[in-house]
Amino acid sequence: MILEVISTILLILGAFFSLTGAIGLFRFPDFFTRVHAASVTDSIATILIITGLILRTDFDLVAVKLLFILIFLLLTSPTASHALAKSARHGGLLTLAEIRESKKGDND
Amino acid sequence: MYSKSLMDRKTIIYLTTWTLILAIFWLLLSGYFKPLLLGFGLVSVALVVLLIWRMDKTDKEPQQLSFSLRFFRYIVWLIGQVVLSSLEVTKLVWGSSKKLSPATAKLPVTDIPEHSRVLYANSITMTPGTLSVDIDDDYVTVHALDEKSIKSLQQGEMASKIAKATGEKN
Repeated sequence: MILEVISTILLILGAFFSLTGAIGLFRFPDFFTRVHAASVTDSIATILIITGLILRTDFDLVAVKLLFILIFLLLTSPTASHALAKSARHGGLLTLAEIRESKKGDND
Repeated sequence: MYSKSLMDRKTIIYLTTWTLILAIFWLLLSGYFKPLLLGFGLVSVALVVLLIWRMDKTDKEPQQLSFSLRFFRYIVWLIGQVVLSSLEVTKLVWGSSKKLSPATAKLPVTDIPEHSRVLYANSITMTPGTLSVDIDDDYVTVHALDEKSIKSLQQGEMASKIAKATGEKN
């Protein structure tokens, strides 16, 4: 009973952070800042939702599998973000600060 | 099978550890104890261990598994950091977007043992608000949503914790 309540709270919080990531994805101004918004969904929402789900199992093999999913997601999603950011960088995409600086240079 | 010069004691211990870990992994994932499925598991584990052995012979950098208590302590600390910085980013998302002050910086990674640098870059990316954009031999380029988080990275708490958590093996 108590576990169910805790799990519900965790799941709701996880859903809230997922939503936050999605909204940030739309509100933030450029590519790099948007990756930051998405990483809220990647990290804390994943931890909260999967922990919430683990509390709803009978702590058997299903729980272990969920734990594996959590570990692999925590390993792979930063790697994916890094791959995206790295290719954007090497493709010549500028960050907001750099764009501002280059505009200043144009005006001088 | 293989002569002693090919496989010294260290390699045997190392491969046995991997065999055990992979076997446990298989059993946890499958949960079945039928002969057919156990047989499949045996073949898969043998294949993976053979691959590990062959690849290590080629690249000469065997991956030591260092699951010490310190490492787990680091993971707990990291999850705490993830929670804290998530709250920061959440505030920025729901607040006015004019408060954003994205910044980039190059942080030195020469103090961190080579095999832990991936962990460092991954930890930086995992905490929302900081993103490792590029990594080379000397520096990791970090993009942050807020200049404060760059400063706290420059203080080097995460770096020294990683060096402590994994450094002992070398």
